[in-house]
Formats: sequence, C-alpha cells, structure tokens
Amino acid sequence: MSTPIGVIGGGGFGVGLARAIARNGRTATLWSRRDGEVGERIEPTRDIAALGRCELIFVSVPSMHVAKVAEQLGRHLDGRHLLVHVSRGLVGEELRTVSRVLRELTPARRVGCLAGPISAKSIAEGVPGGGIVGTGFPEVADALREAIAGPTLRLYQTEDVVGVEVSAALVGLLALAIGYAQEMGINPAALAILATRGMVETARIGVSLGADDRTFAGVAGYGDLIAAVAGDERPELELGRALGRGLTLQQAGEHAGAYIEGVTIARRVQRHAMRRGIEVPIIEALADALDGKLTPTGVIERLMSRRSKRE
Amino acid sequence: MAKSPVRTVKHLLTRPIRLPRLTPYVPAPDDPTIFWFNSERDDIIREVTRRCVERHVHEQRPLEYVLNEVAHEEVKRLESQRDDEARDSLGFWRGTMRRVGRMSESEKKETLRLICERMAWDIAGNFDPRIYQFATRAVPPLLTGVMKPSALPEDLMTMASGTHVVDEMLRTEGDIDRLKRLAKRGTLVFVPTHSSNLDSIALGYALMREGLPPVVYGAGKNLFTNPIISFFMHNLGAYRVDRRIRAALYKDVLKTYSCVMIERGYHSLFFPGGTRSRSGMLERKLKLGLAGTAIEAFSRNRVRGIARPVFFVPTTINYGLVLEAETLVEDWLKEAGKARYIIEDDEFSQLDRWLAFFRRVAQMESACVIRFGRPLDPFGNAVDDDGGSLTPDGRVIDPGTYVQFRGVPTIEPRRDAEYTREMGQVLVGEFERDTVLMSTQIVAHALFRRLVRATPGVDLFGRLRHRGEVTVRRDDLAREVGQMRERLRDLASRGEVHLSELADRGDATTLIDRVFAAWNGYHRRTIVIEHDGQITAEDPTMLLYYQNRLVPYAERVAGEGDLAAAREIARLG
Repeated sequence: MSTPIGVIGGGGFGVGLARAIARNGRTATLWSRRDGEVGERIEPTRDIAALGRCELIFVSVPSMHVAKVAEQLGRHLDGRHLLVHVSRGLVGEELRTVSRVLRELTPARRVGCLAGPISAKSIAEGVPGGGIVGTGFPEVADALREAIAGPTLRLYQTEDVVGVEVSAALVGLLALAIGYAQEMGINPAALAILATRGMVETARIGVSLGADDRTFAGVAGYGDLIAAVAGDERPELELGRALGRGLTLQQAGEHAGAYIEGVTIARRVQRHAMRRGIEVPIIEALADALDGKLTPTGVIERLMSRRSKRE
Repeated sequence: MAKSPVRTVKHLLTRPIRLPRLTPYVPAPDDPTIFWFNSERDDIIREVTRRCVERHVHEQRPLEYVLNEVAHEEVKRLESQRDDEARDSLGFWRGTMRRVGRMSESEKKETLRLICERMAWDIAGNFDPRIYQFATRAVPPLLTGVMKPSALPEDLMTMASGTHVVDEMLRTEGDIDRLKRLAKRGTLVFVPTHSSNLDSIALGYALMREGLPPVVYGAGKNLFTNPIISFFMHNLGAYRVDRRIRAALYKDVLKTYSCVMIERGYHSLFFPGGTRSRSGMLERKLKLGLAGTAIEAFSRNRVRGIARPVFFVPTTINYGLVLEAETLVEDWLKEAGKARYIIEDDEFSQLDRWLAFFRRVAQMESACVIRFGRPLDPFGNAVDDDGGSLTPDGRVIDPGTYVQFRGVPTIEPRRDAEYTREMGQVLVGEFERDTVLMSTQIVAHALFRRLVRATPGVDLFGRLRHRGEVTVRRDDLAREVGQMRERLRDLASRGEVHLSELADRGDATTLIDRVFAAWNGYHRRTIVIEHDGQITAEDPTMLLYYQNRLVPYAERVAGEGDLAAAREIARLG
C-alpha cells in the first residue's frame, strides 16, 4: 500500500503527524495555508484536491475552522475516505462534535477522533506516549495505527466517539483552569478537588450529548487530565497561567502562542448546561472569569463558598 | 383432553390460512416484486438456513453451546406458555437438550439446520395477489361502513373505487412520484415513526392507494391472534416475529431472513423504534434492529457485483387521536422506561374501541397524515431523482465506495453496525423535520405548559397529580394557541416541521372546539372540562401524552414568559 496519507493543517500537531507518518515509511501529503514543512517523505501542498488521492486523512485545524476546511475538502471526497481529526473543540451553541461537522459537510462517513494524553511533541519525536482513537469503524483504527503507531506510541480504541470528543474539548478547558490555579499558588489537595470535580462536570455534559460516562474515567478523560496536571506544557496550561498573572485574554493569547478553544467553549457549555438543567459550577466560574466578570480571587471565593454535599 | 369447539376454531384461525390454488399464479413482468414471493419462498428459506448454519459452523463457539442455548431458552419459554405450541414442541427441545452431548459433529450440524429451517418457515410470510387485489377494492368501503354506517349501502352496491370516507381521513404527503421512480431502480426501505398498531395497516393502505408497491414487514406474532387481521397480514406479505423467543439463534434467523429479502429487491417496512412510542414522543434513540439488515444487504450485493441501490424512506405517521393512547401512556409512566414489550390487552384488541375510534375520527378531517420524507441512501446521503447518491456539494457519487476497503467491496459486520447506528441518528433529525403536528397536540401543549408554569419545581409525577387544578379562560387559551401556531408556521416555513391542514388554517377557537370534541368523543378519560368559558385541565396524563409530540420544538414555540416552562418540557426528551 503506497497511497499517501493526508494531513490538513500545518500547526504543531499537523507537522507532528506528518513526521510520524514519514517515520513509519509512508508519504505524508501536508496541506497548509502557510509554507509547510518539507522533509523526507513529506510533500507540502496548497491544493486541497491533492488529498482526494489519499485514503486516510488527518484533520488538524482548530475546531472553529473545521467547517470551512470540511466544505473545501468535501468536494474531493467520497465514501472511500477515512478521516481522523485531532481538534479539541465543540462547535456552535449546540456543542456539535467535530466528527459530526465532518459527517455533515463532507460525504465521508468513516470518521474518528484522536485524543487523550497524546501531544504534538510525543508524536513528532517518537518519545513514549499514548492516546485513544474514538471510532466505530475498525478500518479507521487499523489505518491510523498503521500510519502513526510505533514502538513508543500506544493507541487505545473506543467506539464512544462523542465521549472522546467531549473529553478532549473540556479537559482543554480544565487545563486552562489548572494553569490559572497553579499561578495563584493552589495547594495539591485543592488542585485535586478542582481537577476531579471538573471531570465530574465534564462527564455530565458528555452524557447529555450522548456519551458513555465510563469514557471519562479512561485514557480520553482522566488520562488526558493527569497529563495536564503533570504539566505536559500544552498551550492551555500556559494560557491559564498567563491569565492568572492578570494578563488580558488578548495578551495571554499572544503570550501562549496559540488561539485556544477553551476561551469560547466555557460560556457555550455553561449555556447548554443551563438549558438542560445540569450543574456546572466550575465551568460557570471559568466562563465568568474569562468574560472578565470575576477576578481570580473571586473565582476561588465563589467555588469554596459552595455547600459541600455527597459526591 | 378434547378441545372445546371454540378453541379449535380459534386455533385454526390463527394458523396461516391460505386460499387453495388450482393453477400457480404467474406474475406479469411489471408486477411488483412481491407478486413473485410465493414462487421464491422455498429458495429464500433454503438460503436463510444455509447462511445461518454456515455462520455458526465457522464461528469459534462449539455447536454444542449454540444448540444448548437455543434448546434451554425454548424449554424455558414453552414451559411458561403452556399452550398448543408447548404441547407440540416441548418434546423436541427437551430431547435436543438430552442428546446434544452424545451427538457427532455432523448430527449437531443437521440438528442446527433443522432448527434454523423450522424457524425460517415460522417467520416466512405468504403473499396472495388475489387477496391483494380484493383488499384494494374492499377495504375502503368496509372501513367506511364501520365509520359511517349511513354511507354504506351505495358503496356495497357498486363496490366503487371512488372516494371513501377513509380517503378523506388519511392524507399522504411527500414526493410520491419520486418514490415510484426509485421503486423501479432499487429497493425501498420504509422506516416510519410508530405510535399505534394501526400504523402498518394505514401505511399499507396508503401505499396501495398511491400506486406504490406493497412492502413486506415483520409483525409481532401477538398481532396474528386476531383471525381477520391475521388472514390479511399473512396474505399481504407480513412475516411473523415472535418476540417471546429469546434465543440468539432466532434473532439471527430473523435478521438473515430480512437481509435476504432486501437483497432480492423486496421493498420492506421496518419500525426503527422497534415498538410503539409509549410516551407519544418522537423516537429520539433508534436502534434500528432489523432495519440494519438493509445496509448488510447492500454490502452483500456489492460484493457479488450487484449494484441494486437501497433507499431508506423516513416516514412520519401522525394521528390526531391515537387509538391506544390511554394504555400506552400509562405503560410509559408505570415502567418509566422499562416498558412491557408486548401488550396484549390494549385498545387494539377491543372491537368496541375500534368502532368508537373510527366513528370519531371519521368526523375529523385528515385524522391521520402520512408524510414520506426525502429518500436517503444507506449512508445518510440524499439521492437525486434517478437514485444517485448526492454529496453535500451536490456531486453524484457511487454509494458502493462506502463498503469498499482499499478499492474492494467487503462484508464487514462491525462497519455496517456503525453505519446503522449513524443512520439511526440521521433518522431522528429527519423525523423531527417531517413531523406533521396535529391540532390535538398543539392544544395539549398549550394546556400542559400552563400546568408546568403553575407548578414550578414539581417533578413530572407530582404534576400529573394536579388533576383539575389548572384553569384557563377560553379566550386566553385561544390567544396562546394562536401565538403558538404563528411560531409553528414560522418553523414550518423554514422546513423545521409541518402542520396539519386544520392546525395551519383553522382559527384558534375552531381548533379548540374540534380538539375537545375529538377527545371527549373517543377517550374514556375526561381530558378537559369546559364550564362558563373556563377550561380546566382534568387529566394531565393524557395532555402530557398528546403534547409530547411537541417536546423537540418546545423552546422554539415558547414566548418570553414561557421559556422556563418550555425548557422543563424539552428535558422530557
């Protein structure tokens, strides 16, 4: 099989995937609006039609750009194509998952999501790590493993695609909160409470969107969260710290060097929770802090003054 | 012990009655596929049996386990049934359990073959074109007779196939010409919403009336206990699904049967919700069950190089009054999600309820609206007039690419199961857009929303105990219904829902009058009481049932002051 493997998006993750593909002896066709990475077996292109020749295509663009890219890409796809995305986000007020957007805007149906504690760095450099692929299609998981798995990369699989996608999006938001709290000098016990209760809220939101709550206790949920707490230097942590130092959102965003999904998702999740009658005090406090309605100390005061109850 | 004559007659009547045939029926070339069924039946059963046996022989599980499981399940079932069937077959199953340990491999395989074949025979239907022709001519006047006895004499005299009351009561909507074209190009798989046992009869009749081909469908064996219905079902292409049989092997035979039928181009009907909606809500989680076999059938045909397309036709069946409403909603509340799967003592089996129901609906215009939605390929793509699969950007693609891996069509059950799951999600959205809201549902929603507003913070069961406590002035209700209808029209203009003719055009006061008359004329329970221009919600449970159809739209039809109540209603879904 010598069909090239497509990668859309020239950011850190996209380039990391292209390198992993090349390391596995396959050719990566890397589509990017910028001048892309050129390396052995990495073919940059600005013509999205070139991806139609691939069977497996990675979609590695921020979730707010997925719809636009999907529309362009969709014109060159049919039922043969397998899509795997690594976008950590949920789209619009309805919190549509990225895989759903891909299914709606392209003819591709065999779609999956790669998430968990997997980082651009571990993929690119082949250091030990792992992740989880959410897909109901065995051929998607097989093709993915063949493309990027190696002796140092463990990839687990689940059919709960929604669970993986909600985890990926909301653990990103929790990572922002963790960075923020660390900057405020939070102690380990309080950090543990923030992280676990944040995960409870994540699971509630996930279940309301059709996920299986067990997914949040696995690699996609806690696995990802532990990597964030351990400080895997993901951009969300950096953004949270910058906000904790009192920078404005604009400044913090420039400082963290990436636009972070979590900034807009907090308020959208809070509104969804209100419509469905789901309690999400941590996410609500974060949304208020990001909107400038709460100061860092105000967040702590509000969360700590809630009555404790049964877990 | 000798059987009583009554039991003997009943026993005979529930057997598949078939009209004797002197010469075999030779179908004409442009007859629907189903006219060929009887000549193909033996071959179909052979094929089903062969596939089931082969699958189990190639499986990892020893045949001994398979035989043991099915025998054990059947003995358990028949011992509790204690009926004629038990008397006839218990011996066979007990014997199988005793002997299986001593059987050679080839004896096991032969026993398995025998069991699969017996199951397939039990499932297989019959199709008698003569009865089809008769039913086409006779059903409308007969139903008319039931509903409007005064209109009968001239009908019976002429057997005219003109307009009957039943035709006024049953409206069909959707692009029927397109369905006719697609029926010639591929296999249609109708997947309707399911709220009443009348659904398959109404849909079968609508297909016949619109000149669409007849369909085969699986009907619960419990429906075959009524001799008249059983006779028509058997002879109009229904096959029997015995929900009491829990053995995995039976489900396997059933799925294989359905798959083989679709592969051979028999247009089919499946209720993707599996059972009647107990709550009256649109189904939100569709397991598809047997409908999934349409996707497997498509794959299998592709592997064999047969490119016959399969088209799913999402269909909504919308009633102003639901025959079994009282039983269904009680069942929903009682079990709160763990519904009794087979109800044998509901209104469907009571002749007097049928009469009351039909007499009442005869006075309603379009008591039932069947709306055929846009046909889809098995992968959720819209199709063009020639049945080509369309991408979101309007290109025509080959649906065969969905079952290919590295350019070759393959049979992959896990993949097809996933396509089936996704089809379930697609259908939920189609149902929502293709629903035709009826005036009974709209008026019920307005009243129930008032009840929710009046009882903040109370849970559903608490609210249902507030009988006769919520009162509203008639002109206030009319105003509220009017506003709701304006918002619904707005949704309808955007293609988010449809409205029945009365709900769309009648003025609010007329609407309320018609709805109250319909409820009071059919239901045994008093749903609303009107006194001195004051309307009292007497039976919140029945209001809940009828308003449940609006759950997905609750927030979209709510005004500013109703938003909180609408959200609470939306959470029922």
